[in-house]
Amino acid sequence: MARLSGLQKEVIALYRECIRSAYKKPKENRNHWVNYVHSEFAKYRKLPKKEFATVEHLLRVGHRRFEMYSSDTIRDVH
Amino acid sequence: MVGLRSFQLNSAISKKTPLFLLQSKRNFIKTIPQPPGYVVGGVNDATAVPDSDKVHGSRHWTSERLVSAALIPLSAVPLVTGSSFGFVDSILSSLLILHCHIGFQSCIIDYIPLRVYGVWHHYAMYLLTFGSLVSAYGVYQIEKKEEGGVSGIVKKLAKA
Amino acid sequence: MYKSQLVSILSKPSFQNCFKRGLATSHPVPTQPKLKTFKIYRWNPDTPDVKPKMQEYQIDLNKCGPMVLDAILKIKNEQDATLTFRRSCREGICGSCAMNIGGRNTLACLCKIDQDTTKETKLYPLPHMFVVRDLVPDLTHFYQQYKSIQPYLQRDSVPEDGKENLQSIEDRKKLDGLYECILCACCSTSCPSYWWNQQQYLGPAVLMQAYRWLIDSRDQASAVRKEMLQNSMSLYRCHTIMNCSRTCPKGLNPGRAIAEIKKQLAFE
Repeated sequence: MARLSGLQKEVIALYRECIRSAYKKPKENRNHWVNYVHSEFAKYRKLPKKEFATVEHLLRVGHRRFEMYSSDTIRDVH
Repeated sequence: MVGLRSFQLNSAISKKTPLFLLQSKRNFIKTIPQPPGYVVGGVNDATAVPDSDKVHGSRHWTSERLVSAALIPLSAVPLVTGSSFGFVDSILSSLLILHCHIGFQSCIIDYIPLRVYGVWHHYAMYLLTFGSLVSAYGVYQIEKKEEGGVSGIVKKLAKA
Repeated sequence: MYKSQLVSILSKPSFQNCFKRGLATSHPVPTQPKLKTFKIYRWNPDTPDVKPKMQEYQIDLNKCGPMVLDAILKIKNEQDATLTFRRSCREGICGSCAMNIGGRNTLACLCKIDQDTTKETKLYPLPHMFVVRDLVPDLTHFYQQYKSIQPYLQRDSVPEDGKENLQSIEDRKKLDGLYECILCACCSTSCPSYWWNQQQYLGPAVLMQAYRWLIDSRDQASAVRKEMLQNSMSLYRCHTIMNCSRTCPKGLNPGRAIAEIKKQLAFE
């Protein structure tokens, strides 16, 4: 596998964080969360890796949303 | 939510830059990733206040101003009198080095900040200190060997 | 007799002029449309893979108010409802419509449209800020910084009469030119030092407010306030470039305020 760039590593790190926090949600809703994370990341799967500005923006938005959703008061997602 | 940096419209990373340059640009120096949107903590939190440090704060600034102010009469003396005195000249040249050192230090803090470049910031500072020491040694040699010191050299250059 | 009087009044030139003038204002002579081109920065967060672009709009200046805000409101009303910007008071007191107009940070509501129709006017969001959409910058970090200087009155004692903290006229005068700041962020985002180090350098707008609280005679926390600025980044990244004072749409002088703070701190 090709060596990943710093930006790619950041994306993967965010993805792992998201999945990890999905397993901290109530058991019955975990599937929703995992599916949601998958679908959100899949939206820009086709984005060329050279689109740095876009990837950086998506990372920023992703981090913000991750912080918001990882709150304990949010239990389910659809 | 938070989008692109403004003024990135004609960004250098559009079509003009060859790919290899881009890659090298992004991989050449590893920078520290910054918090998304520079926002740390919640939206309603205040930014953290750094530790108080007078040496890098007001005292640094005051000494910088004093050095700059002292340079004016010191450089005026040889210009007006047309001759140079050994001790005036050595004070002038050492303050000049100090002045340049502080100036470049500011540039490094501005453009190679610790926050983003980590160790590279320290390397740049070491390099600067090394350069200042070398030039200090050079000035010492000039003062010892050259007649009239630094202002003598300027005088000769002006005549030539 | 009445008839003759009426005729004489009607035939008076002054009366006729008055009549004509009334007509002239109610039916203006149709003039040539004065088309002015505006180039506006567009970027939509819903399609982040589409690069930001400059979109052109043409406005007839004869049918538009005098300020840039009038023009962009007209564009939003009549041509493109998706154009996004912040605005509120339209009289330069809220600071919402701060943007970069023709290369200068200013408030759209206080900036007259350049009447030269041969030149286009370019509108960008405030430089070096993260863009939320089109002309809307993200000011979260700026407000966080403002909060960090504790912009409120701090006292350890209650006034003697238990009512209000009094201040002499001279002390109040010191706040003139400082309290008018509306935190539009025009000055901070015009400052190169703030562009490079906005995470640590507080920027002119916030520093001016820091000074405003430092010299307030009623405030008793100035030692703490000074202590907060004692490091190489918060205050001393100011290199007296003075873009702040030049760009301020309210005509204030943040550069001088920062210099005054430095003076106060000089021999601490």
